[in-house]
Amino acid sequence: MPAAPSKRVKGTQIRRHFLIGNTAHVLPHPGFPDPPPDGHTKGWTVYVRPLPNGPDITTWLKKVQFKLHHTYADASRTIEAPGPFEVSETGYGEFGVEIRLYFAQESGEKAVYREHYLVLAPYGPDDQRARQERENKIVAERLETIEFNEPTQEFFKTLTSEDQFNWLKVKKGRGKGKKPDYIFEGAVEPTAQLPEKAMDPGQAGAGGAWSVQYERQVLAQLQQSGATLDQMIEEEKRGMEERRRRLEELGVAIGAK
Amino acid sequence: MTSGADIRAALGSDFAPSITPSLPRATPTQLSQAIPKNSSQPRRHKRNLLVARRGGKAVRWSYESTPVSSRRDQLQFRRWRRPKKDEEPEPFVKFAKYDVRAECPEYDAEIYEAHLTHADWTKDETDALIEAYSDSYGKWPIIVDRYDSGQPRTMEDLKARFYGVSATVLALTTPIHSMTGPQYTLYETLRNFDPAKEASRKKLAEGHLQRRQTEVDEETVLLGELQRIMINQANLDSEREDLRRRLDHPVAGSAGYQYHTSQALTQLWQQLLQTDRMKKNQRLRATGKLSCNNEAVSRHDANIASGNPVFDGLPGATPTSARPRDSIAGIPDSGAGSSRRPTRDSLPSATTPGSALPIDMSKADLERFGVVVAQDKTASGITFASDRLTKPRIAKSTLQTDKIATILTHAGVPDLIGLPTPKVIEQFDAIMAKVHTLLDMRKLAEKEEQEIRVRSAEAA
Repeated sequence: MPAAPSKRVKGTQIRRHFLIGNTAHVLPHPGFPDPPPDGHTKGWTVYVRPLPNGPDITTWLKKVQFKLHHTYADASRTIEAPGPFEVSETGYGEFGVEIRLYFAQESGEKAVYREHYLVLAPYGPDDQRARQERENKIVAERLETIEFNEPTQEFFKTLTSEDQFNWLKVKKGRGKGKKPDYIFEGAVEPTAQLPEKAMDPGQAGAGGAWSVQYERQVLAQLQQSGATLDQMIEEEKRGMEERRRRLEELGVAIGAK
Repeated sequence: MTSGADIRAALGSDFAPSITPSLPRATPTQLSQAIPKNSSQPRRHKRNLLVARRGGKAVRWSYESTPVSSRRDQLQFRRWRRPKKDEEPEPFVKFAKYDVRAECPEYDAEIYEAHLTHADWTKDETDALIEAYSDSYGKWPIIVDRYDSGQPRTMEDLKARFYGVSATVLALTTPIHSMTGPQYTLYETLRNFDPAKEASRKKLAEGHLQRRQTEVDEETVLLGELQRIMINQANLDSEREDLRRRLDHPVAGSAGYQYHTSQALTQLWQQLLQTDRMKKNQRLRATGKLSCNNEAVSRHDANIASGNPVFDGLPGATPTSARPRDSIAGIPDSGAGSSRRPTRDSLPSATTPGSALPIDMSKADLERFGVVVAQDKTASGITFASDRLTKPRIAKSTLQTDKIATILTHAGVPDLIGLPTPKVIEQFDAIMAKVHTLLDMRKLAEKEEQEIRVRSAEAA
């Protein structure tokens, strides 16, 4: 039953970063059946994860349905909260995994499809490939930012609740008849924003790589691309100028005839 | 008109045989003589008394004429009188006080000309009427009988004229605004005399007087019938009224329920909210978990490099400078222990309608929870920021899409940007704008090349 229509909070948007991606290993690898099924050379895990230091993803994400390639038995795998929202399988080929996200009931939103194309082979620049091969671990993930535009009031309430950070905290002082206190003992205050620094660069796949630092890198790269484009536009302009001159010359030539 | 009581009062205790001359026929001499003066004894003893006192000697009465002072015509009446004693006054003097002349309006020729002229009446006639009234002591039947000046007139005509003259004269002598109560009543009565109504009233009364028995019976029956009809009508009316009242009930707009418009309801809601807020402010909570908060704040501030001056729990901040976070009514404090910030009171519905932000949160909290206050209007629902990095790449035609992809690859923009932050998106948008400019220019270039080819062929 859909949630009763609730009033929406006008003019607001709540953003949540989360990760969609997969890890892949060449078999045999711990955690995957050994020997692997016939012909299967890779073991992989496709997942939907929160940022390591962000608010609890289950606040808004209640169910995830992974639609694997139809050759898999039971191709549609549904994971309900509290998760983890991930599916591990073995296989030999890459394909697009359809991921359907179901939201909290109070949000009043319908489920949404996202797609993730499985990456099983090393990719990227050479040094990255080398590292991936060395570690026998390929991580292909992307940061998604979901934007809840004008959430319902109830949804707004849950999305701005302090309880979202409880999963990162340590319970302390569970006294008689008292609620447990949650004490955060990490180094960085949890937040919905991207962390300033990559938390643990060595631990790819746990989402630690996503940071403002990385954002800066991307931005720099894009700026470079922008500059390249500017250059191309300049070239085009020069070409245009030249063509105009030639047209004039031709015009004069025709006129002289 | 004198009644018996009046007469007795006038005579007082000296009810004496001295008045017998007024009843000359009925008074035998002996009897008159026998009645003793100032006798308080019952009459049945009078014979004995007379015999005892007088010894049977009779008093001589004389038959003589006496003037009546009240008569203007000097008519002489002769009557039997007892021999007069010195102290005894003339009998007419005693009755002089009952000779009250009727009050007549007084006017002279000048006043008559000015105020009293009447189309139907001459002055002589009017004078005659007034005189007749005066002579007849205001007895109208007598006036009608005596009045014979000019044309014959009915009693109502005479009355109307006389009352009219009286009223005018009264008003002349005493202006209306200075009249006393009785005077004004009299004036009104005189003025309101309606001869036609009076005549019809008299005619009716006369007719009434001469009804036959059958007519009387018929009238009684009819009256009974009429009364019955009237009673029925009244009953019907009252029943109808009752029914109407029942049908119309309840009357909307009466004092019963005053919140029947949405405006009134909104007002009520705001009132309640206001009172509740005032209540809550009085018991502003201590912000709780101070040490933890401060620690967190300092770290957080270091992280996001934007201080929050009204962050609750800061040592310098006064309690009142805290955000209006207590705006939620009725939410119990149960969860406060586990949460360092009272986020649940940011329920937007509780904010005052006038406030710019629909939510009551500090800037730091907004950031922490990823809340963005949109500047431009957004459609409600879910969007993915990454879509803004992928969708612009796809044009309507595959050809165009391929072209875009080629340019982007050439510029070194990766196919998949894994970090859809607002800054990245902004940058990407700029890049896409450039790509589109480039595409347009190339299209134009193609056209111009074509033209150049045509022209060069023409020139050759």
